[in-house]
Amino acid sequence: MKEAIALECHQVSHSFGEKKVLWDINLQVERGQFLSLVGPSGCGKSTLLRAIVGTHLPRKGEIRIDVEPNGYGKSSILRTVLESSPVRTVLESSVTRKVLKTLKLARDKPAAAPNSLARKTQIVRGPGRDRGIVYQHYSLFPFLTALENVALGLKLDETSMPYRLVFFQPWKRMRKEHLRLAEEYLERVKLADARHLYPHEMSGGMRQRVALAQTLIMKPQIILLDEPFGALDESTREDLQRLLLELYNQNQEARKNGRPPPYTLIIVTHELNEAIYVGDRLVGLSMYWNWKESGFATCPGATVIYDQPSPVFEPHEVREFERFEQQRQEVRHKVFDPEHLEPAARHITYWDERRNR
Amino acid sequence: MIRKAISKKTRFSLGFFSVLALLLGYTLLSDYQHRRNPKDTVIPNWGQLGEGVQKIVTPDRFGERWLLVDAQATGLRLFLGMTLAVALSLLIGIHMGCFPKFEALLYPSLSLLAKIPPTAAMAVLFVIAGRGYALHITVITFGVLPTMAMAVYLAVKSFPDELQFKAYTLGASHSEVVWTLLFRFVLPKLIETTRLTIGPAIVFLIASEVAFESSGFGYRIRLQYKLVAMDVIYPYLAVLAGFGFLIDHLLRRLERRLCPWSQHR
Ligand SMILES: Nc1ncnc2c1ncn2[C@@H]1O[C@H](COP(=O)(O)OP(=O)(O)O)[C@@H](O)[C@H]1O
Ligand SMILES: [Mg+2]
Repeated sequence: MKEAIALECHQVSHSFGEKKVLWDINLQVERGQFLSLVGPSGCGKSTLLRAIVGTHLPRKGEIRIDVEPNGYGKSSILRTVLESSPVRTVLESSVTRKVLKTLKLARDKPAAAPNSLARKTQIVRGPGRDRGIVYQHYSLFPFLTALENVALGLKLDETSMPYRLVFFQPWKRMRKEHLRLAEEYLERVKLADARHLYPHEMSGGMRQRVALAQTLIMKPQIILLDEPFGALDESTREDLQRLLLELYNQNQEARKNGRPPPYTLIIVTHELNEAIYVGDRLVGLSMYWNWKESGFATCPGATVIYDQPSPVFEPHEVREFERFEQQRQEVRHKVFDPEHLEPAARHITYWDERRNR
Repeated sequence: MIRKAISKKTRFSLGFFSVLALLLGYTLLSDYQHRRNPKDTVIPNWGQLGEGVQKIVTPDRFGERWLLVDAQATGLRLFLGMTLAVALSLLIGIHMGCFPKFEALLYPSLSLLAKIPPTAAMAVLFVIAGRGYALHITVITFGVLPTMAMAVYLAVKSFPDELQFKAYTLGASHSEVVWTLLFRFVLPKLIETTRLTIGPAIVFLIASEVAFESSGFGYRIRLQYKLVAMDVIYPYLAVLAGFGFLIDHLLRRLERRLCPWSQHR
């Protein structure tokens, strides 16, 4: 069964002045997919991810994202009042909406009917809470404890500064609920004991776990990871990879029960083993492709030259590296080798293979 | 080997010894002076100092306790001046760190102003700000603002971009990024800079009191200096030192309380 497309890169190109970095990237990421993005160092993986996050928009093309319009902020006390029918008629007027929007009590989109599954495609114009990101460094706020870091998103998303000042009592009650939920997420990443530690008191692996919980609690449409485990030692890395596979497992559970898979993820890594192990789809970005054949005088930038399914592992399965080997060799040759200039579209077979399965 | 650790006991006794040596040196010096001139007031002996202390804590013929009056006046001036400086430096530093246009606009003049010694500019400030509180507050602010604003600005610049981006992906608004996140990140730097600049601020304040005032520590010291009443001046210096220690200690406690995450303490 084909799921909805969660994210699409449409003819995305980018350059820094004279330096051409990305050329004509076209990617469709299906909901529930774990996509690994690999490529030689400096080919523009982080640049592409930044374009998706929306902090650095691409020069050309657009990123489209599938969002659920979810009405007013989720603040529960506020909601009961807002959804009573007399209040609602007033609120629905366009003037009130404008006021609420500036106060950040309402979302950009009009409230959908409670059971509506209407989804909408939006063009990425800046960072937003529908895309979560975990960086290699500086993913946590140094002045917040693990628990506060995880709860931060709920606070920022569901309340505004004026709200916290004016409705101090309701905010305190809400805060309790946030912290309880944050604790649940810390348990999920197996860090319940570290809830009161500050980032500088944690190991690198713990920090990345907290960062993951901080992102997961927001239930983003898509989770973006830029070399998240790059600074960790091998065994910590493996633990965290297994954690990601557990999320993938939950996707498959959901599919089995006819629910939409909850997690969609793009992981950038320079580690081929990690890419194959964690993802179910392997995308290779490279500037070493045959651009002369496509009629360019100089390289127009890195593009996708490899896009194929990769084997799926269970979290507790023993990692058999033989299963990686053939794909590893292939990618190493076609994506990473500067001497080998591959014609652009030859190894982009992901969707064909999906269709034939 | 350098930087070899020493025991707590050794550290304490060495510190004790250094203060003791200071007091002993003073006693010998004043003893020597008094043997040559028994009426000497330049290096008063301990007895004279005791009388000096008496003089500053008991009411004079107008019913004023000098120490109390002066401490109140100087303390309030320092507090007002530093409060203004902290508020302004926060505003300027954050704007400069967040908006390149402000940075380009303010950086050159701020570094220029920082080079003018405020004590030398006092005559100008005197003409501009008049006398009294306005003058002292202006002198303090003029003296410490460039340093403090620069420190805040650099702290804002050191806020990692990743954290800013992260905040937006968590649903923060612009004002939340600045006032609930950036501000907390900058706070320990702000407190530390305040600690470091309070010394210079006292210097500027005393100087302007010496020059223009009729109350406060600086005024009293000028007056007693004309009478060569060192028995009053030395206790005042000791009080000033204690004053500095106390403020420093309070600010350090404040930092530890508000920013337990800050590692440099
Ligand atoms: N802000 C920038 N200004 C100029 N060049 C940049 C900038 N950011 C990245 N680049 C260049 O773009 C290319 C891609 O960078 P990046 O996306 O970080 O690569 P990677 O695939 O290693 O993550 C590199 O050659 C880098 O030098
Ligand atoms: Mg990178």
